[in-house]
Amino acid sequence: MWSLNDYRTVLMAVGLIGVFVCCVPSVMLFARLPPGETFSELYVLGPGHMAEGYPFNVTGGVNYLVYVGVGNHMGSVAYYLLQVKFRNQTEPLPNSTSAVPSDLVSLYTYRVLIEDNSSSEVPLNFLLSDVSFSDNESTVGNILINGVQSTINEHSSWDTNSTGYYYQIFVELWIYEAKSDAFVFHNRFVNLWLNMTASS
Amino acid sequence: MRFWVNVLVVSLLVVCIVFFVHTAFAVTYQEAADQVAEADQTLRNAFNGVLDAEKNGANVSALLPRLTEAGSALTRAEEALRIGNYSDAVNRAGTCKSLASSVTGDAVALKIDAVAASGNWWIMVLFSVAASVVFTGVLFFVWRWFRRGYLKKMLGSRPEVTG
Repeated sequence: MWSLNDYRTVLMAVGLIGVFVCCVPSVMLFARLPPGETFSELYVLGPGHMAEGYPFNVTGGVNYLVYVGVGNHMGSVAYYLLQVKFRNQTEPLPNSTSAVPSDLVSLYTYRVLIEDNSSSEVPLNFLLSDVSFSDNESTVGNILINGVQSTINEHSSWDTNSTGYYYQIFVELWIYEAKSDAFVFHNRFVNLWLNMTASS
Repeated sequence: MRFWVNVLVVSLLVVCIVFFVHTAFAVTYQEAADQVAEADQTLRNAFNGVLDAEKNGANVSALLPRLTEAGSALTRAEEALRIGNYSDAVNRAGTCKSLASSVTGDAVALKIDAVAASGNWWIMVLFSVAASVVFTGVLFFVWRWFRRGYLKKMLGSRPEVTG
Protein backbone atom coordinates (compact mmCIF):
# COMPACT_ATOMS: atom_id res chain seq x y z
CA MET A 1 0.00 0.00 0.00
CA TRP A 2 1.21 3.52 -0.83
CA SER A 3 2.18 5.88 1.98
CA LEU A 4 0.88 9.45 2.25
CA ASN A 5 4.23 10.71 0.92
CA ASP A 6 3.83 8.59 -2.22
CA TYR A 7 0.39 10.08 -2.88
CA ARG A 8 1.79 13.58 -2.32
CA THR A 9 4.57 12.96 -4.84
CA VAL A 10 2.08 11.75 -7.45
CA LEU A 11 -0.19 14.74 -6.88
CA MET A 12 2.73 17.16 -7.14
CA ALA A 13 3.74 15.57 -10.42
CA VAL A 14 0.16 15.91 -11.71
CA GLY A 15 0.18 19.54 -10.57
CA LEU A 16 3.40 20.35 -12.38
CA ILE A 17 2.21 18.70 -15.58
CA GLY A 18 -1.09 20.60 -15.35
CA VAL A 19 0.65 23.96 -14.87
CA PHE A 20 2.96 23.17 -17.81
CA VAL A 21 -0.02 22.36 -20.05
CA CYS A 22 -1.74 25.62 -19.04
CA CYS A 23 1.40 27.60 -19.90
CA VAL A 24 2.06 26.02 -23.31
CA PRO A 25 -0.09 28.48 -25.32
CA SER A 26 1.67 31.46 -23.74
CA VAL A 27 5.12 29.96 -24.20
CA MET A 28 4.32 29.33 -27.88
CA LEU A 29 3.69 33.06 -28.33
CA PHE A 30 7.27 33.91 -27.45
CA ALA A 31 9.26 30.77 -28.16
CA ARG A 32 10.65 30.54 -31.69
CA LEU A 33 11.80 27.16 -32.85
CA PRO A 34 15.10 27.30 -34.74
CA PRO A 35 14.43 27.35 -38.50
CA GLY A 36 15.34 24.18 -40.35
CA GLU A 37 17.40 24.07 -43.50
CA THR A 38 15.85 26.23 -46.20
CA PHE A 39 15.89 25.00 -49.77
CA SER A 40 13.89 24.78 -52.98
CA GLU A 41 13.14 21.75 -55.10
CA LEU A 42 13.15 21.64 -58.88
CA TYR A 43 12.16 18.51 -60.75
CA VAL A 44 10.82 17.38 -64.09
CA LEU A 45 8.10 14.76 -64.62
CA GLY A 46 6.83 12.96 -67.67
CA PRO A 47 3.48 13.56 -69.36
CA GLY A 48 1.67 11.40 -66.76
CA HIS A 49 3.06 13.43 -63.82
CA MET A 50 5.37 10.48 -63.10
CA ALA A 51 9.15 10.11 -63.35
CA GLU A 52 8.76 8.14 -66.58
CA GLY A 53 7.88 8.61 -70.22
CA TYR A 54 10.28 11.50 -70.78
CA PRO A 55 10.71 12.40 -74.44
CA PHE A 56 14.14 11.38 -75.74
CA ASN A 57 14.04 10.48 -79.44
CA VAL A 58 12.30 13.55 -80.78
CA THR A 59 11.12 14.53 -84.23
CA GLY A 60 10.35 17.86 -85.81
CA GLY A 61 6.69 18.86 -85.85
CA VAL A 62 5.67 16.69 -82.89
CA ASN A 63 4.42 18.21 -79.65
CA TYR A 64 5.99 16.91 -76.44
CA LEU A 65 4.78 17.45 -72.90
CA VAL A 66 6.60 17.29 -69.58
CA TYR A 67 5.88 18.92 -66.24
CA VAL A 68 8.28 21.05 -64.27
CA GLY A 69 7.78 21.10 -60.51
CA VAL A 70 8.98 23.56 -57.91
CA GLY A 71 8.88 22.97 -54.15
CA ASN A 72 9.25 25.78 -51.65
CA HIS A 73 10.94 25.04 -48.30
CA MET A 74 12.37 28.51 -47.81
CA GLY A 75 10.44 29.22 -44.62
CA SER A 76 8.14 31.79 -46.22
CA VAL A 77 6.18 32.45 -49.40
CA ALA A 78 8.53 32.55 -52.42
CA TYR A 79 8.45 34.09 -55.89
CA TYR A 80 10.27 32.01 -58.51
CA LEU A 81 11.13 32.43 -62.16
CA LEU A 82 11.60 29.34 -64.29
CA GLN A 83 13.63 30.10 -67.39
CA VAL A 84 13.48 27.59 -70.22
CA LYS A 85 16.58 27.41 -72.43
CA PHE A 86 17.76 25.23 -75.28
CA ARG A 87 21.31 24.21 -76.16
CA ASN A 88 23.41 21.89 -78.23
CA GLN A 89 26.26 19.87 -76.75
CA THR A 90 28.83 22.61 -77.13
CA GLU A 91 26.92 25.41 -75.44
CA PRO A 92 27.19 26.07 -71.70
CA LEU A 93 24.96 24.70 -68.98
CA PRO A 94 24.64 26.62 -65.70
CA ASN A 95 27.70 26.25 -63.49
CA SER A 96 26.57 24.71 -60.18
CA THR A 97 29.96 25.12 -58.55
CA SER A 98 30.10 28.86 -58.99
CA ALA A 99 26.28 29.29 -59.06
CA VAL A 100 26.35 31.00 -62.44
CA PRO A 101 23.40 30.61 -64.83
CA SER A 102 23.81 29.73 -68.48
CA ASP A 103 24.27 32.80 -70.65
CA LEU A 104 21.88 31.44 -73.27
CA VAL A 105 18.73 33.39 -73.97
CA SER A 106 15.60 32.39 -72.06
CA LEU A 107 12.96 31.16 -74.51
CA TYR A 108 10.09 31.03 -72.07
CA THR A 109 9.59 32.25 -68.52
CA TYR A 110 7.21 30.99 -65.86
CA ARG A 111 6.37 33.03 -62.79
CA VAL A 112 5.53 30.79 -59.87
CA LEU A 113 4.50 32.01 -56.42
CA ILE A 114 4.35 29.29 -53.78
CA GLU A 115 3.56 29.08 -50.08
CA ASP A 116 6.08 27.59 -47.70
CA ASN A 117 6.11 23.78 -47.70
CA SER A 118 4.09 23.63 -50.90
CA SER A 119 4.90 22.78 -54.48
CA SER A 120 3.59 23.63 -57.91
CA GLU A 121 3.83 21.91 -61.28
CA VAL A 122 3.64 23.72 -64.60
CA PRO A 123 3.24 22.11 -68.04
CA LEU A 124 6.08 22.47 -70.52
CA ASN A 125 4.81 21.85 -74.05
CA PHE A 126 7.45 22.07 -76.73
CA LEU A 127 7.61 21.45 -80.44
CA LEU A 128 10.71 21.63 -82.60
CA SER A 129 10.30 22.69 -86.22
CA ASP A 130 12.30 23.59 -89.31
CA VAL A 131 14.52 20.58 -88.62
CA SER A 132 17.07 19.54 -91.24
CA PHE A 133 19.95 17.08 -91.55
CA SER A 134 23.04 17.40 -93.72
CA ASP A 135 26.73 16.42 -93.60
CA ASN A 136 26.63 14.78 -90.17
CA GLU A 137 24.90 17.80 -88.74
CA SER A 138 21.33 18.53 -87.74
CA THR A 139 19.73 21.92 -87.44
CA VAL A 140 16.68 22.98 -85.45
CA GLY A 141 15.29 26.24 -86.74
CA ASN A 142 12.44 26.99 -84.36
CA ILE A 143 11.05 25.93 -81.05
CA LEU A 144 7.49 26.47 -79.87
CA ILE A 145 7.17 26.47 -76.09
CA ASN A 146 3.65 26.69 -74.66
CA GLY A 147 2.53 28.41 -77.85
CA VAL A 148 5.38 30.91 -77.93
CA GLN A 149 7.63 30.54 -80.93
CA SER A 150 11.34 31.38 -80.94
CA THR A 151 13.89 31.14 -83.70
CA ILE A 152 16.94 29.30 -82.40
CA ASN A 153 18.89 27.88 -85.38
CA GLU A 154 20.75 25.38 -83.21
CA HIS A 155 23.20 22.99 -84.86
CA SER A 156 24.34 19.65 -83.50
CA SER A 157 27.03 17.41 -84.94
CA TRP A 158 26.68 13.64 -85.08
CA ASP A 159 27.82 12.17 -81.75
CA THR A 160 29.75 9.03 -82.67
CA ASN A 161 29.89 7.77 -79.06
CA SER A 162 26.20 8.09 -78.29
CA THR A 163 25.11 7.81 -81.92
CA GLY A 164 22.74 10.70 -82.25
CA TYR A 165 22.23 14.42 -82.70
CA TYR A 166 21.90 15.65 -79.15
CA TYR A 167 20.27 18.76 -77.80
CA GLN A 168 19.17 19.70 -74.34
CA ILE A 169 16.17 21.60 -73.10
CA PHE A 170 16.77 22.81 -69.57
CA VAL A 171 15.02 24.91 -66.96
CA GLU A 172 16.80 27.24 -64.55
CA LEU A 173 15.33 28.23 -61.20
CA TRP A 174 15.59 31.88 -60.18
CA ILE A 175 14.27 33.36 -56.97
CA TYR A 176 13.17 36.87 -56.09
CA GLU A 177 15.16 38.51 -53.29
CA ALA A 178 13.15 41.22 -51.56
CA LYS A 179 16.30 42.79 -50.10
CA SER A 180 17.87 43.54 -53.47
CA ASP A 181 14.54 43.75 -55.35
CA ALA A 182 15.98 41.43 -57.99
CA PHE A 183 15.81 37.86 -59.21
CA VAL A 184 18.93 35.81 -58.58
CA PHE A 185 19.90 32.41 -59.94
CA HIS A 186 18.96 29.85 -57.28
CA ASN A 187 21.64 27.41 -58.45
CA ARG A 188 19.19 24.74 -59.53
CA PHE A 189 18.36 23.47 -62.97
CA VAL A 190 16.85 20.40 -64.58
CA ASN A 191 17.42 19.20 -68.11
CA LEU A 192 16.21 16.75 -70.70
CA TRP A 193 18.44 15.21 -73.33
CA LEU A 194 16.82 15.14 -76.75
CA ASN A 195 18.06 13.00 -79.63
CA MET A 196 16.88 14.58 -82.85
CA THR A 197 15.69 11.99 -85.34
CA ALA A 198 14.34 12.23 -88.84
CA SER A 199 11.27 10.18 -87.98
CA SER A 200 9.84 8.70 -84.80
CA MET B 1 -21.09 69.00 -109.26
CA ARG B 2 -21.92 69.72 -105.63
CA PHE B 3 -22.82 66.09 -105.15
CA TRP B 4 -19.38 64.91 -106.32
CA VAL B 5 -17.65 67.44 -104.05
CA ASN B 6 -19.58 66.01 -101.10
CA VAL B 7 -18.64 62.48 -102.11
CA LEU B 8 -14.98 63.53 -102.31
CA VAL B 9 -15.06 65.19 -98.87
CA VAL B 10 -16.73 62.15 -97.27
CA SER B 11 -14.25 59.82 -98.92
CA LEU B 12 -11.35 61.93 -97.67
CA LEU B 13 -12.84 61.87 -94.18
CA VAL B 14 -13.18 58.09 -94.25
CA VAL B 15 -9.57 57.72 -95.41
CA CYS B 16 -8.41 60.06 -92.62
CA ILE B 17 -10.37 58.10 -90.01
CA VAL B 18 -8.97 54.79 -91.21
CA PHE B 19 -5.36 55.94 -91.21
CA PHE B 20 -5.03 58.68 -88.60
CA VAL B 21 -7.37 57.37 -85.91
CA HIS B 22 -5.55 54.04 -86.00
CA THR B 23 -2.23 55.85 -85.77
CA ALA B 24 -3.48 58.03 -82.93
CA PHE B 25 -4.54 55.02 -80.83
CA ALA B 26 -1.70 52.70 -81.83
CA VAL B 27 0.62 51.70 -79.01
CA THR B 28 4.31 52.20 -79.50
CA TYR B 29 6.98 49.78 -78.33
CA GLN B 30 8.16 52.21 -75.65
CA GLU B 31 4.67 52.68 -74.22
CA ALA B 32 4.11 48.94 -74.09
CA ALA B 33 7.54 48.32 -72.58
CA ASP B 34 6.86 50.95 -69.90
CA GLN B 35 3.52 49.33 -69.04
CA VAL B 36 5.12 45.89 -68.78
CA ALA B 37 7.94 47.23 -66.57
CA GLU B 38 5.34 48.95 -64.37
CA ALA B 39 3.36 45.71 -64.10
CA ASP B 40 6.54 43.85 -63.14
CA GLN B 41 7.24 46.34 -60.34
CA THR B 42 3.61 46.25 -59.17
CA LEU B 43 3.80 42.46 -58.93
CA ARG B 44 7.05 42.65 -56.94
CA ASN B 45 5.47 45.18 -54.58
CA ALA B 46 2.45 42.90 -54.15
CA PHE B 47 4.73 39.98 -53.35
CA ASN B 48 6.65 42.09 -50.82
CA GLY B 49 3.32 43.04 -49.22
CA VAL B 50 2.30 39.39 -48.98
CA LEU B 51 5.70 38.46 -47.53
CA ASP B 52 5.39 41.23 -44.96
CA ALA B 53 1.89 40.12 -43.98
CA GLU B 54 3.07 36.53 -43.60
CA LYS B 55 6.01 37.60 -41.42
CA ASN B 56 3.52 39.34 -39.15
CA GLY B 57 1.57 36.12 -38.73
CA ALA B 58 -1.13 36.52 -41.39
CA ASN B 59 -2.41 33.54 -43.36
CA VAL B 60 -1.75 34.54 -46.96
CA SER B 61 -2.96 31.36 -48.69
CA ALA B 62 -6.00 33.08 -50.19
CA LEU B 63 -3.85 35.73 -51.88
CA LEU B 64 -1.52 33.43 -53.79
CA PRO B 65 -3.87 32.25 -56.58
CA ARG B 66 -4.48 35.88 -57.60
CA LEU B 67 -0.79 36.65 -57.39
CA THR B 68 -0.01 33.63 -59.58
CA GLU B 69 -2.65 34.80 -62.06
CA ALA B 70 -0.99 38.22 -62.11
CA GLY B 71 2.33 36.50 -62.79
CA SER B 72 0.86 34.61 -65.74
CA ALA B 73 -0.60 37.83 -67.14
CA LEU B 74 2.83 39.46 -66.87
CA THR B 75 4.49 36.54 -68.65
CA ARG B 76 1.97 36.83 -71.49
CA ALA B 77 2.48 40.59 -71.61
CA GLU B 78 6.22 40.07 -72.02
CA GLU B 79 5.65 37.52 -74.79
CA ALA B 80 3.25 39.89 -76.56
CA LEU B 81 5.85 42.65 -76.30
CA ARG B 82 8.52 40.33 -77.71
CA ILE B 83 6.47 39.41 -80.78
CA GLY B 84 5.41 43.00 -81.39
CA ASN B 85 1.79 42.80 -80.29
CA TYR B 86 2.00 46.00 -78.26
CA SER B 87 -1.69 46.60 -77.60
CA ASP B 88 -2.03 43.05 -76.26
CA ALA B 89 1.04 43.63 -74.10
CA VAL B 90 -0.55 46.75 -72.63
CA ASN B 91 -3.84 44.94 -71.97
CA ARG B 92 -2.16 42.04 -70.21
CA ALA B 93 0.11 44.35 -68.25
CA GLY B 94 -3.04 46.17 -67.14
CA THR B 95 -4.59 42.90 -65.97
CA CYS B 96 -1.42 42.10 -64.04
CA LYS B 97 -1.36 45.53 -62.39
CA SER B 98 -5.02 45.34 -61.46
CA LEU B 99 -4.65 41.91 -59.84
CA ALA B 100 -1.39 42.77 -58.10
CA SER B 101 -2.81 46.03 -56.74
CA SER B 102 -5.83 44.24 -55.28
CA VAL B 103 -3.50 41.70 -53.64
CA THR B 104 -1.40 44.53 -52.17
CA GLY B 105 -4.53 46.07 -50.62
CA ASP B 106 -5.66 42.75 -49.16
CA ALA B 107 -2.17 41.98 -47.85
CA VAL B 108 -2.11 45.29 -45.98
CA ALA B 109 -5.52 44.49 -44.44
CA LEU B 110 -4.35 41.00 -43.43
CA LYS B 111 -1.21 42.43 -41.89
CA ILE B 112 -3.21 44.95 -39.83
CA ASP B 113 -5.46 42.14 -38.56
CA ALA B 114 -2.47 39.94 -37.75
CA VAL B 115 -0.67 42.73 -35.89
CA ALA B 116 -3.86 43.50 -33.93
CA ALA B 117 -4.28 39.83 -33.06
CA SER B 118 -0.68 39.52 -31.90
CA GLY B 119 -1.23 42.64 -29.75
CA ASN B 120 -3.66 40.58 -27.65
CA TRP B 121 -0.89 38.34 -26.36
CA TRP B 122 -1.57 39.43 -22.77
CA ILE B 123 -5.01 37.76 -22.91
CA MET B 124 -3.29 34.46 -23.58
CA VAL B 125 -0.78 35.04 -20.78
CA LEU B 126 -3.59 36.02 -18.39
CA PHE B 127 -5.47 32.87 -19.37
CA SER B 128 -2.40 30.72 -18.71
CA VAL B 129 -1.78 32.28 -15.29
CA ALA B 130 -5.46 32.04 -14.28
CA ALA B 131 -5.71 28.44 -15.47
CA SER B 132 -2.54 27.52 -13.57
CA VAL B 133 -3.79 29.14 -10.36
CA VAL B 134 -7.22 27.49 -10.61
CA PHE B 135 -5.69 24.11 -11.39
CA THR B 136 -3.22 24.36 -8.47
CA GLY B 137 -6.00 25.50 -6.13
CA VAL B 138 -8.28 22.61 -7.13
CA LEU B 139 -5.41 20.18 -6.71
CA PHE B 140 -4.66 21.63 -3.26
CA PHE B 141 -8.25 21.12 -2.13
CA VAL B 142 -8.26 17.59 -3.58
CA TRP B 143 -5.08 16.87 -1.67
CA ARG B 144 -6.51 18.17 1.61
CA TRP B 145 -9.70 16.13 1.15
CA PHE B 146 -7.74 13.05 0.27
CA ARG B 147 -5.30 13.43 3.20
CA ARG B 148 -8.13 13.86 5.68
CA GLY B 149 -9.80 10.72 4.38
CA TYR B 150 -6.57 8.82 4.35
CA LEU B 151 -5.60 9.76 7.92
CA LYS B 152 -9.12 9.06 9.15
CA LYS B 153 -8.98 5.66 7.59
CA MET B 154 -5.52 4.94 9.03
CA LEU B 155 -6.40 6.14 12.54
CA GLY B 156 -9.69 4.27 12.52
CA SER B 157 -8.12 0.96 11.66
CA ARG B 158 -7.21 -1.47 14.46
CA PRO B 159 -4.00 -3.41 14.66
CA GLU B 160 -4.41 -7.11 14.03
CA VAL B 161 -2.16 -9.88 15.14
CA THR B 162 -1.72 -12.57 12.60
CA GLY B 163 0.00 -15.91 12.68
